[in-house]
Amino acid sequence: MDYYRPVPGTQVEDLETPCLLVDLDAVEHNFRVVADTYRDTECKMRQHTKNIKSPRLAKMQIEAGGTVGGVCTAKLSEAEVMVEGGVTDILIPNQVVHKDKIARMCALARCADMKVSVDNMQNVQDLSDIADAYGVKIGVLIEVDTQMGRAGVRSNEQGVAIAKLAESLPGVDFKGVMSHQSLMEYKGEKDRYEVGRQTIQICLDVKNAIEAEGIAVEMVSSGETFTIDVAATIPGVTEVEGGTYALGGTNYDYMEDYQMANKVMGTVISTPRSGVAIGDAGLFALSGLGADSVEGHLDITVVEMLDHQIVLKSDGEMPLKVGDKFMLIPAYQDMMINRWDQYIGIRDGAVEQVWDIPGRGCTQ
Amino acid sequence: MERPIFKPIGTAEEALDTPSLVVDISGLNQNIETMHSFFRSRPVGLRPHVSGHGSSAIAHMQIAAGGTVGGIMTATLGQAEVFAATGFDDIFLANLVTAPSKISRLCSLARRVNMTVAADSADNVSDLGEASVEAGVTLNVVVDINTRRDSTGVAPGRPALELANAIEGEEGLHFAGLMTYEGTIRADGDELVSESKKCIQQVLDTREKVEKAGLDVEILSVGGTHNYEIAGDMDGVTEVAAGSYALMDEAYRPYRPQFVNAARIMSCVTSMPQAGNVITDAGRKAIGGDSGNPGIPTVPGGEVRGLSAEHGGIDLDPSIDHGLSLGDRVWFVPNSIEGCVNLHDYMHVIRNGKLDAVWELPARGRYR
Repeated sequence: MDYYRPVPGTQVEDLETPCLLVDLDAVEHNFRVVADTYRDTECKMRQHTKNIKSPRLAKMQIEAGGTVGGVCTAKLSEAEVMVEGGVTDILIPNQVVHKDKIARMCALARCADMKVSVDNMQNVQDLSDIADAYGVKIGVLIEVDTQMGRAGVRSNEQGVAIAKLAESLPGVDFKGVMSHQSLMEYKGEKDRYEVGRQTIQICLDVKNAIEAEGIAVEMVSSGETFTIDVAATIPGVTEVEGGTYALGGTNYDYMEDYQMANKVMGTVISTPRSGVAIGDAGLFALSGLGADSVEGHLDITVVEMLDHQIVLKSDGEMPLKVGDKFMLIPAYQDMMINRWDQYIGIRDGAVEQVWDIPGRGCTQ
Repeated sequence: MERPIFKPIGTAEEALDTPSLVVDISGLNQNIETMHSFFRSRPVGLRPHVSGHGSSAIAHMQIAAGGTVGGIMTATLGQAEVFAATGFDDIFLANLVTAPSKISRLCSLARRVNMTVAADSADNVSDLGEASVEAGVTLNVVVDINTRRDSTGVAPGRPALELANAIEGEEGLHFAGLMTYEGTIRADGDELVSESKKCIQQVLDTREKVEKAGLDVEILSVGGTHNYEIAGDMDGVTEVAAGSYALMDEAYRPYRPQFVNAARIMSCVTSMPQAGNVITDAGRKAIGGDSGNPGIPTVPGGEVRGLSAEHGGIDLDPSIDHGLSLGDRVWFVPNSIEGCVNLHDYMHVIRNGKLDAVWELPARGRYR
């Protein structure tokens, strides 16, 4: 674990590298865009904390507005971090299966509004048994597989069966349905809207089937940053689980309203051959990069990443010299921040805030 | 930081929280014995590379097993600082240290431990020389030679000799030798031999040149887990820096059958949405995924379909009774062990199927 917490006021160029920077103006801007986008919509944002892993950042979005007042967390341990940080409306859009984990979730439910996704009858029964014994209620949403071929019910009938079971059992509160889509290859807006609507409709079909049985469906939690704009236009969707929008990544350069907020800063440590610069930010710190990832340098290509070094090539003469700093824009944003222990918040070229990333490594 | 549910020593492996990095102590001991026995009988020494596990406990086991040069190799300055504080007094940082604040850290380390660092430019050598005199320390500097990997490094031959002379000419520096990082050569048989020798010979030829010019080459560091038996048998090689062998990974498995997979990520089946499809709670953030898919040797007829960030997707052969149910454990062999340990704060050591120790990995995330 690193302990790099530079004193506020330190100039960016004086920081040791590699380090993870957050442009505070940019992240505040992104939170405002969400607040504005969802101010008058029925659908609200439930920010996914896998992309921030910090209660401080989660609270910033909640305070800015446009949200349900709570968050999604990928895993139970990430939920713990958020609850300890004062965010107590939690949806885990994932399954919690093992009895130890259910017990841990019930403990959290004593001080937080815990909701989890289900796609299996036995799991619902286990949740009920354990939560009832603890004297708490766990909210359950049925996960619907709309496209990914991952977890989730595969039919309206399956969804209805689980909803009926959840309604009949103590310890669990049936809340609604949830789905996650991975639409990264649909870059064009028209495509994203079309495919986004089609996939989310599959989730809404399950909702409708459940309602037809006389069971109220309070929550339809869907979407992600790919459909951050699409989901809000679909009647019936009550919340969008956007995550990457907050800090940004190169896979999302279609998101023009939002600004790139997280960057890894590196330093050139060698210029061993003509047109080549080696930097000190490698694969372990970045988790992969696209070729055009050096900010402000369309003339420089990322040729290769070693564990702790990056090989940069320039079209002509290498403009970077040993000692020069450069900024790398991440490709897999939530994969990248999971490699780091601190965010260094920058404003006007200097350190303003340093925040720990307490959710790092919380995959349990 | 990871926050697994606490389980006492003696707990059955399957009862541990998931995902968790589990290490079989007998496999680890076996790998250490296999590798170190090669070196014990030879003048060439093994220098364990800590990136292969990130654990002080394992590094101490490696030194204690003999056949080593008595020191370790690290990839970053931050890793060197962590290991220097846990009883290692001979550390070779196989990377460049160029920023003034980092040179200052390096010199501080050199007060307490025998530090060796790599260099590939005269400017850097001059900066190191100046700083070491001011700090009152001697830094051992090895010339980094590029033979294959095309990252840092001077060309072999004359450029390396020039740099060696520059190092020796600095009062605060000691020219310690030559190194190359040829990269992991994933090949076997003749291809592995020829590719390895092609790289290493360039360093050996450079050695000859440097010695002819009157300089001693104490360290000639080449090779790794991928070719230690070839590197270790070439006259003039003094040390081989190997890291992956201790715990091993999926990418190495076909090429290094002499080592066993001692490290795995234990995961839980969290969804079985359709026949032939199993979802687990270990994905790329627990297993790693920068370099390729993990293996699942304990799931007969199972194949990793792919990893998401927090899920593993397994395709099962429907004709095989795999007997998996919700809540069952699945063990993934990570594709890259270095990439995997870089994600974890704890290693759960298993002896005869029970938790024997929890080792912390404080060097995790020390990229700086």
